[in-house]
Amino acid sequence: MLSTPSRALRHELQELLLVAVGAVPGALCRWQLGVHLADKDLIANVVGALVLGLLAGLPARPRRQLLVGIGFCGSLTTFSSWMVNCVAMIAMGQWLSAFGLLGLTLGFGVGGAALGFGVGRALRPHTPPI
Amino acid sequence: MADTLHVTRQVVLVGVGAIPGAWLRLRVVNHFEPVVPRKHWGTFAVNLVAAFGLGLVLGLNSSAPSDPASGSHGLTLLIATGFFGSLSTFSTFAVELLNCLRAQQWKEATVLAVGSILGGLMLAAAGYALGVA
Repeated sequence: MLSTPSRALRHELQELLLVAVGAVPGALCRWQLGVHLADKDLIANVVGALVLGLLAGLPARPRRQLLVGIGFCGSLTTFSSWMVNCVAMIAMGQWLSAFGLLGLTLGFGVGGAALGFGVGRALRPHTPPI
Repeated sequence: MADTLHVTRQVVLVGVGAIPGAWLRLRVVNHFEPVVPRKHWGTFAVNLVAAFGLGLVLGLNSSAPSDPASGSHGLTLLIATGFFGSLSTFSTFAVELLNCLRAQQWKEATVLAVGSILGGLMLAAAGYALGVA
């Protein structure tokens, strides 16, 4: 009777721990990239999309997905700062910069995800026919 | 020594903000997955909420003595860089968009991309305006 809820709780805690262990270095990398490159999170977003695309191309591993996918890549990349940076540029009348940041992040992000996905698919181990 | 302490404080603030952001994103995305046929609306929802929240926090903070954009302000590191930065995500959005394109769901891909970007811009601007007012 007691083992069922405690097992569910343990599973839940393990999920939260994996996500947190990935999220902290992800956020720290994004913060430091922003401080040093001042690239409006472009590199962080493109690299994160590439790595997540790679994971999507590889065989599904729930723990790796939680740690690296939802935790690290999810925190390394950001949507809110992308939007706020574009709004700030538009507010200053820098329409070209705003459209540039929108287009570059979207284009290189989806392109990076596609590249990562292709590499993941190529690295996929071949399952022998049963 | 004082410098090390200062850097440690900044690292802890970003990290402490990032953990609940990522947990909340995991919960919302997991919640949406069985509810709606297309799971990318979970990411869409957290991203729009975070865009509004980040705009609001930066708006509220715009009168603070230190420049919010420099990231030196403690509350900005905790809430803006840590929490909202981690709550919202670009990588999942990019991969979900890629999935739509690979499945040749052109309409779905267009709605997701245009909806996320237009909605995100409008909500970030609304949050900022509300914070400054």
